[in-house]
Amino acid sequence: MANPKRYAMVLDSRKCIDCKACVVACKAENDVPPGVFRNRINAEHGGAFPRLRASFDPEQCHHCDNPSCVRVCPTGASFQREDGIVQVREADCIGCKYCMIACPYDARFFNEETRVVDKCTFCAHRVDRGELPACVETCPSKVRTFGDLTDPRSALHALLESRRYRVLKPQTGNGPQLYYLL
Amino acid sequence: MDRRLFLQLVGAGGFAATSIGCPKFFARAKRVPEPPVGPGVPTTCELCPNKCSVLATVRRGRIHKLNPNPENPKSRNMLCARGNAAIQQVYDPDRLKQPMIRVGARGEGKWKAATWDEAFDFAAKKLAETKAKHGPEGTLWSSTEGFQEVFFKNLGLAFGSPNILRHPSLCLASVNLAYSMTFGTVPSFDLQNAKYVIMAGANRFESIITPDTMDLIGGVMERKAKFVYLDPRFTVTASKADEWYPIKPGTDMAFILAMIHVIIREDRCDKAFLDQWTLGFDQLVEHVKPYTPEFAEAETGIPAREITRIAREFADAGHRAVFYAGRRSSWYQNDFQMRRAQAILNTIVGNWDREGGMVPNRKVAKGEFMFLPWDDPKAPRVDEVEKNFPLTSAKDGVYLQTRENVLKGAPYPVKAWMIYKQDPLNAVPDQGKTLRMMEAMDFIGVVDIAMSDTAWYADVVFPESHYLERTDPIEVMPGIWPAAVLRQQVIKPIHDTLPMLEIAQGLARRLGLSEYFDYTIDQWIEAEAKELPVENGLEYMKKHGVVAFSEPKYGTTRNAAYRFVTKSGKIEIFSERLAEAGHDPLPVYAPPAQPPAGRFRMILGRKATITHAALAGLPWLHEQIPENDLWINQDQASRMGIRTGDLVEVTSTAGTVRIKARATEEIRPDCVFMLHGFGKKSPWLKRVYNVGAADAVLLETAWDKVSGNAAMHETFVNVVKV
Repeated sequence: MANPKRYAMVLDSRKCIDCKACVVACKAENDVPPGVFRNRINAEHGGAFPRLRASFDPEQCHHCDNPSCVRVCPTGASFQREDGIVQVREADCIGCKYCMIACPYDARFFNEETRVVDKCTFCAHRVDRGELPACVETCPSKVRTFGDLTDPRSALHALLESRRYRVLKPQTGNGPQLYYLL
Repeated sequence: MDRRLFLQLVGAGGFAATSIGCPKFFARAKRVPEPPVGPGVPTTCELCPNKCSVLATVRRGRIHKLNPNPENPKSRNMLCARGNAAIQQVYDPDRLKQPMIRVGARGEGKWKAATWDEAFDFAAKKLAETKAKHGPEGTLWSSTEGFQEVFFKNLGLAFGSPNILRHPSLCLASVNLAYSMTFGTVPSFDLQNAKYVIMAGANRFESIITPDTMDLIGGVMERKAKFVYLDPRFTVTASKADEWYPIKPGTDMAFILAMIHVIIREDRCDKAFLDQWTLGFDQLVEHVKPYTPEFAEAETGIPAREITRIAREFADAGHRAVFYAGRRSSWYQNDFQMRRAQAILNTIVGNWDREGGMVPNRKVAKGEFMFLPWDDPKAPRVDEVEKNFPLTSAKDGVYLQTRENVLKGAPYPVKAWMIYKQDPLNAVPDQGKTLRMMEAMDFIGVVDIAMSDTAWYADVVFPESHYLERTDPIEVMPGIWPAAVLRQQVIKPIHDTLPMLEIAQGLARRLGLSEYFDYTIDQWIEAEAKELPVENGLEYMKKHGVVAFSEPKYGTTRNAAYRFVTKSGKIEIFSERLAEAGHDPLPVYAPPAQPPAGRFRMILGRKATITHAALAGLPWLHEQIPENDLWINQDQASRMGIRTGDLVEVTSTAGTVRIKARATEEIRPDCVFMLHGFGKKSPWLKRVYNVGAADAVLLETAWDKVSGNAAMHETFVNVVKV
């Protein structure tokens, strides 16, 4: 049998123009209710006129290798697929929100409409059809590259081979799989 | 127990206990399994002028998702936030669902739902009455850009009115005219291959234009093209630029002329190009002598040594250097001349029709549906374009001059106003004046998908079907990557709405003009598709949504036989036509008026989630920016005792608004800024009704002298804490 896939995302934040296309595409794709978000853009502004700076970092569930949300979930509703995608099995979620606290990235929220914990799924339903996550596909400046880490021919692999990158909060030991190019 | 089964067992009576117990058992029934979706119906977005290609997926008869269609090289396989949010326009509960006829006073908000027959009869009667009393020129037909605009315009023309008023004089008339006067055409900018880009005010990362925005990202981030940006505000674009200069507003032309001065003084021009293709370079050499970098430093606030360096770098990049035109509306009363200066700067480095430079647009061939022609109108236009703005496009007209003349009743009375897909109360400066113009009308009819502010003050409102509910004419999109696109119906209209063509036909029938509209949309697009450069054009378009050329062609106009569409057949640096029309043949700089002490210049701009006034209320966009605020420089604000969140009163000679302040470092101390699309007067636009403030209330009436384009940065305001 072939090795399992390992899905991950590389983000070139310098290209992010904070246009919110990813945020809105995600809401449309996944029927995310108003007021809550599966993905977001962290904006940082600094400096004093006229020496100013601003940066934009898109963020969502990091689909960690060793996800603390999965470890703390009392019912097994939070689980990791073989291909690395972390999901919430809605039928098993009791809405205890323990995972929301355990997530170091504030990537989870309670969905008042479905009454379960909700978060980015890497659009697993699209990925399983051979499509890209909605945020990746729609992005005007192509900040995002999605793919299989174990596939040496993937664009994502090439980027991580040739560019320097960082992950957020590596010290948590979660093994986050959103790679930010430097 | 399986949760779904449990819910079924609990059934309808089981929910009395929802407030107690384990949340799991009382959770709402989960999403039922999703039926598979295909790749989607190819269509074309309508939320801004970009016309991006879209694949619309439908699930159980409902549009589920709009995805980018990768086949259109111009939209570069993307769909922005606005495009994604279009679904919410379709399913907006506040949408116009059937024709409405006003029963109370104008603006009072008393409406009665009408049938289409009633609405058509009512409007046709009013239009006929106006015609009988004032002639067909007593009617005004105004619209904004859209694929079905042609049917609206044709109805006005067939009716016999000379007053067909289109949007360019609120948009890019000054740019188009300046580049046309110079090159005989309006080129595109090859940002994908440029090495040096200067943008002044064109906030391309927040006002997304395809493919320029994406190409600029690619250029700056991936090829390391150099990017210099001038703007009184620190925008997202500024944050990505290699160099940002908070230029003093209205002085861009001084900066450009000084660049030309340096490039000529230091002999950095493309002389071979200038000799062969241009007219008037010698006059330019003399003309720019006084415009030294030191002069420009005093005007712009940008150090002379930086201007000199930028000019040198620009010239060194040669034909891969572009001073980007920008668009939106004009800013100052000399906007045309500022754009001319840009065009001339581009010319002297020889970037015309070169890879990475300015490229004349190519087009995809398309057929045309032949309809019965009508007689030309007998009366002159009410805006007297030929007299006031002889160089500008008479067929588009000049908005502000039209309003002035209608209010004066000169040269003749205009008493009926038909409006398509436009919200003049928010799109045109000086809302109070536009309201007075509306009050002066005997009849106003509006075609829109929602109850816009303008619709709210109309007499009859015709609800148009949403773009996802109709098929539109095939549209050719000229460019470096030219395309032709089809907007194809995705779902049947969910309310009692009609496309513009059928609205035009309904009115035409009652006005005795049926013979001019004797066709269907299918016949129309069939005729257009016949000459597309693909086999089985119509089938191809229905399947792909777009036909495009993905390889740019450079240098087609750089052959000895080519004559530019100008008087001399050359690129006109010096323009005799301008001189003959009484304007400066070379751009002459005049410093803009400065705000008196204690007042601020109001500047406008966009955000990527909101461009037009109609978009601020769409829930997914609205939750990003729920209210607009007034940007005011932090130092100024603290001096005035204003903190972020404080309510301030902003006053100009045109009007007064109240709005929350945002004390920020990201704007010059002499300006204030607010976003467009808020402070609506129509209660049917729930989320933005009376929320924040409308810029149109404050903006004063001012226009560019040559093109007549509304000048949006000529307003000074007073700001006081409430």
